[in-house]
Amino acid sequence: MRRLRTDILILGSGGAGLFAALHAQAANPSLSITIAVKGLLGKCGCTRMVQGGYNVALAAGDSVERHFMDTIEGGKWLPDQDLAWTLVTGAIERVHELENEIGCFFDRNPDGTIHQKAFAGQTFDRTVHKGDLTGIEIINRLAEQVWARGIARLEEHRALEFILTADGSAIAGVLLVDMHDGEYVLVEAQAVLLATGGGPTMYRFHTPSGDKSCDGMAMALAAGLPLRDMEMVQFHPTGLLAGAHTRMTGTVLEEGLRGAGGYLLDGNGERFMQKYDPRGERATRDIVSRAIYAEMRAGRTTPNGGVWLSMAHLGADNVRRQFKGMVERCADCGFDLAGGRVEVVPTAHYMMGGVEFAAGCTTALTGLFVAGEDSGGVHGANRLGGNGVANSTVFGGIAGDAMAAWVAREGSFRVSDARAVEAAIARADRPFHSGEASDLEAIRERLHTTMWDDAGIVRDAASLAHAARFLDALAQQLHGYALPTAARTRAFNLTWHDWLNLTNLVAVSRAIVRAAVARENSRGAHFRADFPEPGELSASAFIRVRDRGGALGVESVPVRFTRVRPGASLLAS
Amino acid sequence: MKFKIYRYDPEKDAAPRMQDYEVTLDVHDRMLLDAIIRVKAQDDTLSFRRSCREGVCGSDAMNINGKNGLACVTNLKELQEPVVLRPLPGLPVIRDLIVDMSQFFKQYHSIKPYLVNDTPPPEKERLQSPADREELDGLYECILCACCSTACPSFWWNPDKFVGPAGLLQAYRFIADSRDHAASERLDNLEDPYRLFRCHTIMNCVDVCPKGLNPTRAIGKIREMMVKRAV
Repeated sequence: MRRLRTDILILGSGGAGLFAALHAQAANPSLSITIAVKGLLGKCGCTRMVQGGYNVALAAGDSVERHFMDTIEGGKWLPDQDLAWTLVTGAIERVHELENEIGCFFDRNPDGTIHQKAFAGQTFDRTVHKGDLTGIEIINRLAEQVWARGIARLEEHRALEFILTADGSAIAGVLLVDMHDGEYVLVEAQAVLLATGGGPTMYRFHTPSGDKSCDGMAMALAAGLPLRDMEMVQFHPTGLLAGAHTRMTGTVLEEGLRGAGGYLLDGNGERFMQKYDPRGERATRDIVSRAIYAEMRAGRTTPNGGVWLSMAHLGADNVRRQFKGMVERCADCGFDLAGGRVEVVPTAHYMMGGVEFAAGCTTALTGLFVAGEDSGGVHGANRLGGNGVANSTVFGGIAGDAMAAWVAREGSFRVSDARAVEAAIARADRPFHSGEASDLEAIRERLHTTMWDDAGIVRDAASLAHAARFLDALAQQLHGYALPTAARTRAFNLTWHDWLNLTNLVAVSRAIVRAAVARENSRGAHFRADFPEPGELSASAFIRVRDRGGALGVESVPVRFTRVRPGASLLAS
Repeated sequence: MKFKIYRYDPEKDAAPRMQDYEVTLDVHDRMLLDAIIRVKAQDDTLSFRRSCREGVCGSDAMNINGKNGLACVTNLKELQEPVVLRPLPGLPVIRDLIVDMSQFFKQYHSIKPYLVNDTPPPEKERLQSPADREELDGLYECILCACCSTACPSFWWNPDKFVGPAGLLQAYRFIADSRDHAASERLDNLEDPYRLFRCHTIMNCVDVCPKGLNPTRAIGKIREMMVKRAV
């Protein structure tokens, strides 16, 4: 095992991790800062994949109050209101920082100011973008700044477990594995940021990249940290449906397509959204996904079992110009988005839930900070399109500032518990030594099916109980897994990492199911067929899940309406 | 479908070898990545990089039947059998199809790929006309997959001295950015017998770019600017 020391260790290199590194360094250039990521910096994860854009109240006529109310109402009154307020106010500062300091370049209005486009579920056109490939611009420019400033990088280093002090009072470091040679690496740090991103790839149809496996949330669960809103998994309504096995299926066709006036058609070519919501195709993601799912269950589907997305009535040339990236992706799969129609299916996209945190991105574990999709509480029951990358960059920057200040004020290197390190290595190393070889792809398929069928867009007590039993069995099978003898070398052993990925996915899936059982009402992304009503808004509560010695415990925690109460608004009528 | 795949495990193999595979495809297997995942299910020892699976991250760049490309957006119907897969040429191999990208990124970083503007940031954004913004189309879309640079004979010969097409495309992206104030220093940085001028317009870069970008044109524009400022 190798050992390293760094003042600040950042897990993850998306919008949250990179912004945290830059802010921490700006706050105190003498700090040693290290970013560890399981892929190549800037080339993995989900910020890069952002298509649509970045919500921010910039234009005349819009306001942070309006953005805030859209976020709270979109989140069905479950968001932590102070965090949501930080999001909408911080987004203004951050988008200017992205433009003026980081060098991002978003699309312009004729007068040279930043252009903002329409997204669904919002009362104002406030989504900043770069064509329909906004994430590449954000992540490339951020990565360049990080490279240029001598911030240390541990690329293709996968985090395994938090290592605490022997008395369990604080985090002392993180155990990682260097994927290049399979060697374990203990990185001790004064402050650690958890920013690995979520990524609900446990569902049959999903948008995040294949290397996402909820590692951060799984580590937080294993460390006994409280997570909230885990039942809230967002399904994006328009995932490309190109057939069962191809990895192209599930990739997202951006929200701007509906925002711009795209139609959804059932298998017979009829529009159906008006039956479900007066806003039609421009309703929020949860509503549109559920409507599509209902059409699918009623059998009114396309050849591959989804519905059609049709843009042709907006003019093929116009669509080609406005959505170049999307048109090209559909063409790769044999669909003509501009002039014809494309098969789509709801696809698991984002986890609103995550580690509970306070202002300053602190967690219940001293020395551990959290930002981005690993955190919970900003979005409540549903995230608005365009609030995701705003979340990761706003809170990433805040975490960087907060960690630098915390290290100066009360940071120290703490002694890591040697026995905990040994035990963590033994857990990760198990499939090299004992157990039974089994087909990991088959386990993945079973996980996909269970989560989609029983804990997906529509759930009930019976389906969730079924999912829980199934997940227990999968966890057992993974626990007893051994690598085939031929696949026991360490350098870039993908099969070993697949096993680690699946183990994390199953752990987080169990938390999703546990929280979904506990919420006996229907809010936002969580819909219980046996409890279809939202419940009293003024009595809103969020579900907290935590691992207590191997069993998941839940409690219901009342939402504090610190800025606005249900039925009221911050907007003057 | 039949495959021949480059294999090398530093812990087991003295030298690289090619291994034959045959997998049964489903009608819905569209992209090469779908087929590679089937091969992986058959052989747990195979290693390759992949992330976004939609042509945005550039992780699964490899040499496919002699031509560099991204496995996730390479249509299986266009491939002749046996499909020969090798790691990107000219870079050290870590294992199987995974290469060490350090040299590629070193060259990319050498062009200072970040906005340089010493005027104090305005309260809002720096204004830019739609025409100036349009100048960046075909430049900003680069995903740094390295298909182009590792297809370039000049880069194979001088990876330590020639910036390569990916880096030069990005150099022009900043030179062309109306908000950047370092065009002159950027040109100085490239005025060298190797850094820019090793490009012999072979145009392999244009041929392989999975995003349809044209580094050769960007290189031509940088050359033009050098000539203009010389006279």
